[in-house]
Amino acid sequence: MTLIEMVKRANRPGPPENSAALRLACAGTVITGIAACRAEGELSWPVALVSIALVSTGMYLSYRTRSRPLGWLKPILALAALAAFVWFFRQLTGQAFYDVSTVEDPLALLFVWIQVAHAFDVPARRDLSFSLAGSASLMAVAGAQAVDLGFGLYAVAWIGFGLWGLVGMWGSASDGGRIRGRGLVGTVVAVSVLAAAVLAVLPAPHVAGRIDFPANSAGGVGLPGAGGLAGDAGRATEPARAGSPAGRTRVGGFLGFATHLDTALRGSLGTAVVMRVRAQRPSYWIGETFNTWDGESWKVPTKNVPVALFAGSPFAIPPGVDAPVVSNPVAGTSDLQTFYMAQSSPNLIFHADNVIDVWFPARNIYLSGNDTMVSPIALGPGAIYTVRSQVNTATPAQLRSIAGPPSASESPTQARQLRVDLQLPSPYTRAKALAEKITAKKATTEAKVQALIAWIGSHTRYSTDIPPLPPGQDTVDEFLFGNRMGFCEQISTAMAVMLRSIGIPAREAVGYVPGSYNPITDLYEVQNKDAHAWVQVWFPHYGWQSFDPTAVVPLANPSPGATLFHDAGRALKALPLVPLGVLLVLAAAAAIIVRWWRRRPATWALAVARRMERTGRRAGRPRQPDETLNEYASVLDAMSGDTSGTWRALAWLIEASAYGHHEPTPDERHDAERLSRRRLKRARPAPTDAVRPGGVLVPRRDSHGLPPTGGSPSAGGAG
Amino acid sequence: MTDPAGRDRDRRRSAGGFVRPVRPLVPITSSFFVLLGWGVVAHNSGAGWVQALGDVLAGTLLLGIAGPGVILARVRLEVTAVPSDATVGLPVDLRVVSSSRVRLTPIDPSGPATFVGPARGSSAGSDVVTLVPVRRGVVAGLTVNLASAAPFGLLWWTRRAHLDLPSELHIGPKLGQSVALPRQDDDHAGDSAQRSSRDIGEPRGVRPYRPGDSRRGVHWPATAHSGELMVREMEGPTAEPVVVVVTLPAEVDKAESVAERAFGTLVALFDRGMAVVLTTTEQSGRRTGAVADRRSAGRRLARAVGSGHPGDRDGNIGPPPSGSGPRPSPEGDAATTGVTVTMGQRRRGDQP
Repeated sequence: MTLIEMVKRANRPGPPENSAALRLACAGTVITGIAACRAEGELSWPVALVSIALVSTGMYLSYRTRSRPLGWLKPILALAALAAFVWFFRQLTGQAFYDVSTVEDPLALLFVWIQVAHAFDVPARRDLSFSLAGSASLMAVAGAQAVDLGFGLYAVAWIGFGLWGLVGMWGSASDGGRIRGRGLVGTVVAVSVLAAAVLAVLPAPHVAGRIDFPANSAGGVGLPGAGGLAGDAGRATEPARAGSPAGRTRVGGFLGFATHLDTALRGSLGTAVVMRVRAQRPSYWIGETFNTWDGESWKVPTKNVPVALFAGSPFAIPPGVDAPVVSNPVAGTSDLQTFYMAQSSPNLIFHADNVIDVWFPARNIYLSGNDTMVSPIALGPGAIYTVRSQVNTATPAQLRSIAGPPSASESPTQARQLRVDLQLPSPYTRAKALAEKITAKKATTEAKVQALIAWIGSHTRYSTDIPPLPPGQDTVDEFLFGNRMGFCEQISTAMAVMLRSIGIPAREAVGYVPGSYNPITDLYEVQNKDAHAWVQVWFPHYGWQSFDPTAVVPLANPSPGATLFHDAGRALKALPLVPLGVLLVLAAAAAIIVRWWRRRPATWALAVARRMERTGRRAGRPRQPDETLNEYASVLDAMSGDTSGTWRALAWLIEASAYGHHEPTPDERHDAERLSRRRLKRARPAPTDAVRPGGVLVPRRDSHGLPPTGGSPSAGGAG
Repeated sequence: MTDPAGRDRDRRRSAGGFVRPVRPLVPITSSFFVLLGWGVVAHNSGAGWVQALGDVLAGTLLLGIAGPGVILARVRLEVTAVPSDATVGLPVDLRVVSSSRVRLTPIDPSGPATFVGPARGSSAGSDVVTLVPVRRGVVAGLTVNLASAAPFGLLWWTRRAHLDLPSELHIGPKLGQSVALPRQDDDHAGDSAQRSSRDIGEPRGVRPYRPGDSRRGVHWPATAHSGELMVREMEGPTAEPVVVVVTLPAEVDKAESVAERAFGTLVALFDRGMAVVLTTTEQSGRRTGAVADRRSAGRRLARAVGSGHPGDRDGNIGPPPSGSGPRPSPEGDAATTGVTVTMGQRRRGDQP
């Protein structure tokens, strides 16, 4: 077979597809794909609406002309498809990079127009299967942009239409075959189980190998004050107001993302999603660090002038301006994080430790001396930026190799930095004594840090429901020697102060914990309540290392399957088990009643016959499949030794009622039911002969009490 | 003691060979590349939704590829109704009930492929499967090829299965050309040979109609008198029957041809109103018996098996000897047609 013949054979038109339902399902998948692209901003409203209208029209036209396709239409559609490809490649001309992020918008439009053109020529089942498969490309383009669970509506609709279409394909291929309700449920369950299994087995998709990274300002306007902090309202002293003003403090939102962090009170934090982060690993998203402590608040030094970086994306972030040189960094790996802002946010650029590059939708960014990155524009919902960090978290063994704290004699820079990072407003005599007592037997900095964390973990309690401290009250003294109860800012501050008091450089970091990992979107969803404060400790050669005395449990890399099962377990625990149990019992009872109702005997005759069978079964003689009721009644008569044939009479009555149009009288019914309920003795093996007390053999009699004919001569003779 | 219900269930489960995919390369390769492409997009975009949809897609493709095998292995088929008689080359319909929609292709006896099982717009009843047998025989079971691509139609799987018939199906030969029949003694008139007596034997009386009785035998006066359908009852024919000896060769096609001619001959004799004794020379020896009508003749010929060494139990080989008594048909040469017609004498030693 030549190539041309093979192509001709492959393109041979199939029989016209007559199923309107299958067309509806295929059109549904395509329209859902277009709507999903529109929802994710890949298409404009006019394009989406026009393409949906055209797909619907095309599908209808194809259905009407399925038996006699319009010959002139094919060349036009081919030209349209060709024009779409030409347009697509012209769009790419001049692009510096050709990866998904740079071609996705034209690609979405190309896919849509191909689907639109194809919708006008789908006479056969094979053509419809192309529409079904092609809609997947639209969902892929839309899914690549989706960052929240809202896309789930489109996904569920597409999966529903797709399964309907696939089942319709089989129905068409099998000449009208249909899958029964139970089979359909089984199919959906099987697909779900297989999909969950694949999800559990596959690792999470992480951004890797890309050339360009997402960044979108979402229309953020420029902020006054070069490099100054601005809260949600654009003022430097404003905290993030993502929470409602409630609780004892009557303050809404986290107080840390500002020029100072007041540790005396904590605002009430809501569960609103602040941002979503796609990252290769979970990290604490640092917003800001503080190194000046005044007994009540952490502050950013006023002399700290931010440095503007004008390199453009990607902004290369230099090492800390005033920080000591990290002479022996850990050979780490790159860690990419893309932040999708979901709410109005302070103008801090969040990041994991040790930032290298930032892709940011502005001409410049600001970098302060305490490794805080500040945006020049307001960051509202829809803003996106990407950060690349170097993971150089030292292992405990590496940190244990550092004998003691850095020495001021190493360099003037280090001496200056040490003064900042060991600064305390007062001697903190009691705190220092406590710290020295706790770390007395510890030789290394790492051991001392761990000893302090362990002590805090065993001697303090976490609570956000504590009254604000009175003005002038030292937070650390109150926390360590008062009620020993506090929240993360107080816990971390107490540890930082204890570390500083024994000569270990430490500072306060504020930001967010990773947030809950969503295995569907592969995003960490950071809520306002995830705002957090922790401690950073300086280790010579390794730089700043983060320690969280509030939560000492180390974080693990997420696994989609494990996360799903964990979440499912939590959801199960949260279920109201008793009401559910009651509901299940009621449902089971209802099912049993319905089953009994459906299987109940339809007629009186059937009911009595069943009762008769039940009586025989209990006596050890069930009715055989090939046995008539009369024969069975004879057996029962024989078993019971009833020579009058009561069971046979009952069988006659049943058969007369069932087949003979004989309606039994009430008396007959009563008698029959009484007889059918009669207990029958369990069948015993019949003796061959009976022996009278006198020792004389008599032949056994049949059910009628008559001796058998043709009996053995001996038995007969003996009688 | 075995469980009758379980035994019945086992009988209904269609026995057969292993399931195997039909031309799996294209669907499996296509699915692999679709998932690979999807994985590339998921990896490059890092989007969890793409992976989640890809997981659903993978589950769907896996089910679409492997599901038909499972369905085919679990399908239950039962032949619920089968006629007792069929003719070679003519379609005969069976009723089949299937638990799942499958394509059923009869292999032995052969027939066109058809779909059986639940379908849109039909109640959960049985489906018709048509057989077009190509050879005679008595069939107690069907060998069929089952195929399914449920639930998504992505990949077809197939398996061979054997279905028991609820009753035997007798496949009689085609109606072939009759051999030349001998003239009867009293057929001196030119047209007497074509005279056909409708009633064989002597009337003995009337009796109630029984299923299977010829409608020609209905005795209308008695029916009107008694109020129920009555038929004439006949004594056996007083005349000596015609003996038709059929020698079936071992070769299948030739045996079919001989059987067709024999059947044509028997039908021609029935049309003349003659009582016929059919003797078939088979592998197991000669078998002789009276055949009363087309149906019994077809059934006898359906059971007849060709013999490589034709001969009766007395060691006689070939057609009955000519001479006094039975007169062989002038043109009925057994060497060419395998069918010999002799008038009025039953061979001694034939197995009834």
